[in-house]
Amino acid sequence: MTVKKEGNHMFFFKESKKKIVKNQQEQQLNRNQQQPNFLSADLDQNLQKLQQIYQNCMDIVFRQFKIGGKTKAALIYIDGLANIEEIDASVLDPLMKENNDAQPIPVNYILEERLTVSKVEKVQTVTECIEHISGGNPVLLIDQQSEGFALGLANWEKRSIEEPVGESVIRGPREGFTESLGTNLSLLRRKVRSPQLKTKSMKIGEYTQTEVVITYIEGIAEQTLIREVEARLRRIKIDGILETDYIEELIEDNPYSPFPQVLNTERPDIVVAGLLEGRVAILQDGTPFALVVPVSFYSLLQTGEDYYERFLISTVTRWLRYLFLLVSLLLPSLYVAILTFHQEMLPTTLLISIAASREQIPFPALVEVLMMEVVFEALREAGLRLPKQAGSAVSIVGALVIGQAAVQAGLASTPLIMVVALTGIASFTIPRYAAGFALRMLRFPMILLAGTLGLLGIMFGLLMILTHMATLRSFGVPYLSPLAPIQGREMKDVLLRAPLWKFNTRPSLTGTDNLRRQGPDQKPDPDYGNGKTSRGKGGL
Amino acid sequence: MGILQKAAKIIFVSVPLILLGGCWDRTEVNDLALIVGLGIDQKKDGQIMLTTELIVPQAVGGGKMMGSDGGGGGVQTLARSGTGSTVADAISNLQEKLPRRVFWGHTKVIVFGERAAKAGIRQHLDFLSRNSQIRLRSNVLVSNGTAKSVFELTPPIEQSSAEVLRELSESKLLMRVTIKDALQMLSSDASAAALPMVKILPPEKGKKDLQTIAFIQRTAIFKKDKMIGDIDDKLTRGVLWLRNEIERANITVTLEGEKGNITSTMLRAHTEFIPKYEKGKWKMIVKATTEDDIILNGTKLDLLNPKYTKMIEKELEKETNERIKAALKKVQKEMKADIFGFADMFHRKYPREWNRVKNRWEEIFPTVEVIVKTEAYVRRPGVNSAPQGLPEQEVKQ
Amino acid sequence: MMEKGKISTAQMGIMMYPTIIATAILIVPAITARHAKQDMWLSPFWASLIGFLIVYIAIQLHQLYPQKTLIEYSEEILGKFLGKVVGLVFLFFYLHTSGIIIREYGEFVVGNFLLHTPLVFVMGSMILVCSFAVRSGVEVIARLAEIIVPVVIILILANIALLIPDMEVENIFPIMGKGIMPSLRGAIIPQGWFAEFLLIAFLLPYVADHHKGKKWGMISVTTVMLTLSFINIAVLFVLGGITSRFIYPAFSAVRYISIADFLEHIEAVVMSLWVAGVFVKIAVFYYALVLGTAQWLNLSDYRLIVFPIGFLLLLFAVWSASDLVELTHFLGHTSPFYRISIQLGIPLILLFVAKWRKRASHQKVTQQG
Repeated sequence: MTVKKEGNHMFFFKESKKKIVKNQQEQQLNRNQQQPNFLSADLDQNLQKLQQIYQNCMDIVFRQFKIGGKTKAALIYIDGLANIEEIDASVLDPLMKENNDAQPIPVNYILEERLTVSKVEKVQTVTECIEHISGGNPVLLIDQQSEGFALGLANWEKRSIEEPVGESVIRGPREGFTESLGTNLSLLRRKVRSPQLKTKSMKIGEYTQTEVVITYIEGIAEQTLIREVEARLRRIKIDGILETDYIEELIEDNPYSPFPQVLNTERPDIVVAGLLEGRVAILQDGTPFALVVPVSFYSLLQTGEDYYERFLISTVTRWLRYLFLLVSLLLPSLYVAILTFHQEMLPTTLLISIAASREQIPFPALVEVLMMEVVFEALREAGLRLPKQAGSAVSIVGALVIGQAAVQAGLASTPLIMVVALTGIASFTIPRYAAGFALRMLRFPMILLAGTLGLLGIMFGLLMILTHMATLRSFGVPYLSPLAPIQGREMKDVLLRAPLWKFNTRPSLTGTDNLRRQGPDQKPDPDYGNGKTSRGKGGL
Repeated sequence: MGILQKAAKIIFVSVPLILLGGCWDRTEVNDLALIVGLGIDQKKDGQIMLTTELIVPQAVGGGKMMGSDGGGGGVQTLARSGTGSTVADAISNLQEKLPRRVFWGHTKVIVFGERAAKAGIRQHLDFLSRNSQIRLRSNVLVSNGTAKSVFELTPPIEQSSAEVLRELSESKLLMRVTIKDALQMLSSDASAAALPMVKILPPEKGKKDLQTIAFIQRTAIFKKDKMIGDIDDKLTRGVLWLRNEIERANITVTLEGEKGNITSTMLRAHTEFIPKYEKGKWKMIVKATTEDDIILNGTKLDLLNPKYTKMIEKELEKETNERIKAALKKVQKEMKADIFGFADMFHRKYPREWNRVKNRWEEIFPTVEVIVKTEAYVRRPGVNSAPQGLPEQEVKQ
Repeated sequence: MMEKGKISTAQMGIMMYPTIIATAILIVPAITARHAKQDMWLSPFWASLIGFLIVYIAIQLHQLYPQKTLIEYSEEILGKFLGKVVGLVFLFFYLHTSGIIIREYGEFVVGNFLLHTPLVFVMGSMILVCSFAVRSGVEVIARLAEIIVPVVIILILANIALLIPDMEVENIFPIMGKGIMPSLRGAIIPQGWFAEFLLIAFLLPYVADHHKGKKWGMISVTTVMLTLSFINIAVLFVLGGITSRFIYPAFSAVRYISIADFLEHIEAVVMSLWVAGVFVKIAVFYYALVLGTAQWLNLSDYRLIVFPIGFLLLLFAVWSASDLVELTHFLGHTSPFYRISIQLGIPLILLFVAKWRKRASHQKVTQQG
């Protein structure tokens, strides 16, 4: 959400409002760029500062105690974000033990021998303190020390790892990302154990200070790509980000296009697959959806499952998906075009039965189709809002019932219901919701074009869509590759899904730094070990 | 440019589109008169009468939906006529009587009435090919009587008379001619055509007058687009041989010295033509080949004996030759219409000589010496070997 | 250079294929049938010679001036004034030709499908759709061609395959019954189409690997020739002697297709896929025109004139002929001389002058050196 300009109805004062807003923004910037405010050596002073900043926040806890009975200290944390048990056991317990020495315990001693916390960071400014406390890490301030310690004891309620709802598979891992960045990164680390998996973090969002992590595999991903991603992320100046969509909309190449240019997924295996091809992933704390860039159109038509089944199954599924892609875009417009312009194309008996069923319908085909399509879209949206149990039942039954009722009322014809139903089913086969929605949306202008110029209109529509897609790029990668520009080697993964042992090189547009990804001669052969076959040029 | 301007541009373009959608060529399917058959007759005063067979889609009422089929219902056909000085003229006259727009996209069959055929079909064919809606693949036939009478029938099995004629035509029992074929025949060097003829089957007892079908019987012969006569089915078969279009035939023969008939059905047949020009004389060698199966054995012979098979083959060859020769006699010598395409064959092989005589082809054609040779092969005796229904001792081995 | 995109020679070859074929498929069978009768399948062979020649000339000129298009090096070769005049001639020629092409497309679509729709609307909407592609640059056009061309090729092959049951091979005899003259006579008109290969002179500067230019140019010409030949053969086999009586025989043949009693009348689908091919053709011409004009006027960016030229194209399309008869007559009689002289004659002159100048300056250098 960007800064809202209030009250556009005050048109007259718009100019002055603009000025006010601008001033506010400048002030904010200034505040943030102020001199770092260092902690003082005096504990009370620090505590006072912090308490003032955290005024009216009842969930901030200031625990004052004495270390070894002598040194004053304070622990500041947010109740609910910090691991209380750990605090008690690893911080308060060891530190509050009585010390028989006369002198106060030196800080180093505390750090190295008493404080049984694994992750400790020194903080020097109030801003840093606030950062850590907000992140759930308690801050330990000691009297007479101008440095504080931020302790890595953040812990809060999170969802456990479950299968992502929107992207379930028949075969494949059932893990999905959660809202906790740490968990998500751990999921990635478990899959890519090489230290080449780099994770760079940054904070985005004025008020949300959300942690965003860029991950890539060094040596595979191109340097220019990594730099471009970082640059675009750093450019973002916004109040807060709640979902990776905010990031997506602010870094994509063409915000006006109906097609998504960034892939979002809840599945770590898809992210890792992308990383292995030289793509860069962006994860954000607070949402299970990660972004993968760059992306081409056809990778939006894939699921991970494509690669978890044998190649014949995947190839046929892929073809089916391509067919239904066209169906979801074109079927209603074809219905309109053929019935109103090219009636000679249908076999006579079919035409007669369609004509018969349309005798009572008062609307022309164009209107009929638009009406039913809109109703169907409404049904689908409504189905999403209903609670899970009721949802699927209602939408299926609802569609059937409404369809039949419409036919009986003479508002629609039965062939049309078939067309609408098929189109709906076809659009469900597209794996990525955003891409599927783009095509659903484009259906409507196509219907209008079909109603004006018949098949010619449909072709014009297709050409315009294709032209748009041909100009689209995602982080420099042409959207329609590898079909256009043609890259022979990659066609085997587009037209069909070639067997795994043929995937010898990475996609050249993203992983050019390091092309080879498999050893040669990976084709399985039962005779291989017996020395009966001589393959390759002299063995492995 | 701002998003408002972009949006304005899009609206500017699409609003007219939406408003215009519906002008020009859009026609709702329910505003079309689906014409499946077209009949062209010539009245005594020279006027052309056009009869069209329309399909009337029966609306299935909105009421009873669940369980019953969604569309189609019953199908009715309707015959409407219009008159005019030309076919096109007659169409406008016809359109006056139709609440729906004439749509030729599904016209399957064109029937010429006898009188119209005798008067010449060239101008009608021109209309049919110039119009982009009419299929070049529609079948063309000539009716015995008027074309109108054919389309007024309500056939019991198929949806319309046109459908009946189309199916019969495509089965290729007799001739099958599409508009394209007719055009090719008439525009070729031979300048003659043959079209199948249509006759109305008398209705069965108890059925109404019109509840019957028109079927194909006989073939009309055209010379230079005018019908000059017709030949019967047997001769038509001969003609089919000479055009290499024969696909189905049953031949019944009797063997010398044996009582009873043997019928064979043809599986494959092929005719080869070898044109020859020697010393000013035009010759055509016709080699017919046929492969048959026996389907009826009324004699006492056991057909597993190869000797008998050879005899049958000889008889078949003889019979086929006779058919071909009979066809030649009638069409070549009497009617002098080159419906076999000999002219083109000669032209292809002897272009120079042909050019010299092409203006006199009508005279030369009847003088062409045709040598007919047939080779028949009986492949199988069917499923039986010895004739059934005969006591053992009577079977001749 | 105002066009920053780069394409590969393969893309260029692919782009040129529909550029020539799209409208050639419509009319060439009828024209060759009229002159060559049953030898009409030979005519594309003879006509392609012009294609090879022009590709060769364009490549030669390109090698002399690698970064420049036809308009630009005309000025260099002939001097500023004469060069500008020649450039203007080319531009006008392409404007006129593009108008004719758009008119051909419009007449075909309206005459066979949308009889009552105004021609202007059909032509205007195509120009509009093309203008988007042209605005986006040569790379985009190349990518679109890469997607559309395989579809068009499959379409042509599928149609020919579906017509096989109706083909009669005897229609091809007698082969060269009247000698070689008929097929040569039939080849005169199609030459005009092959001459359109000169367009690569506008594309070559933006090709990344131009040493392969000759190879792909030749491949393109050959594929065009083979396609036209096959189509002629197929149409001949199906329609035989009446081929020349149709205005669009290939199309009439397609309308004859009927498979299993239900796959009939598919010509509307064929038409719409063919329209995609015409789209590429018009886009390439349009693009060359826009680029050339921008270079001639020394503009900094060609995108500004895309829409104005589009409007001009519409005007020319309407003006080029008053009706279909005049259009066909023009294409069948006058056009070859018009096209050859400009697309072959002028580049030939340019090449000679350029070579002569090179030699002259070499001599000067060697004399002084």
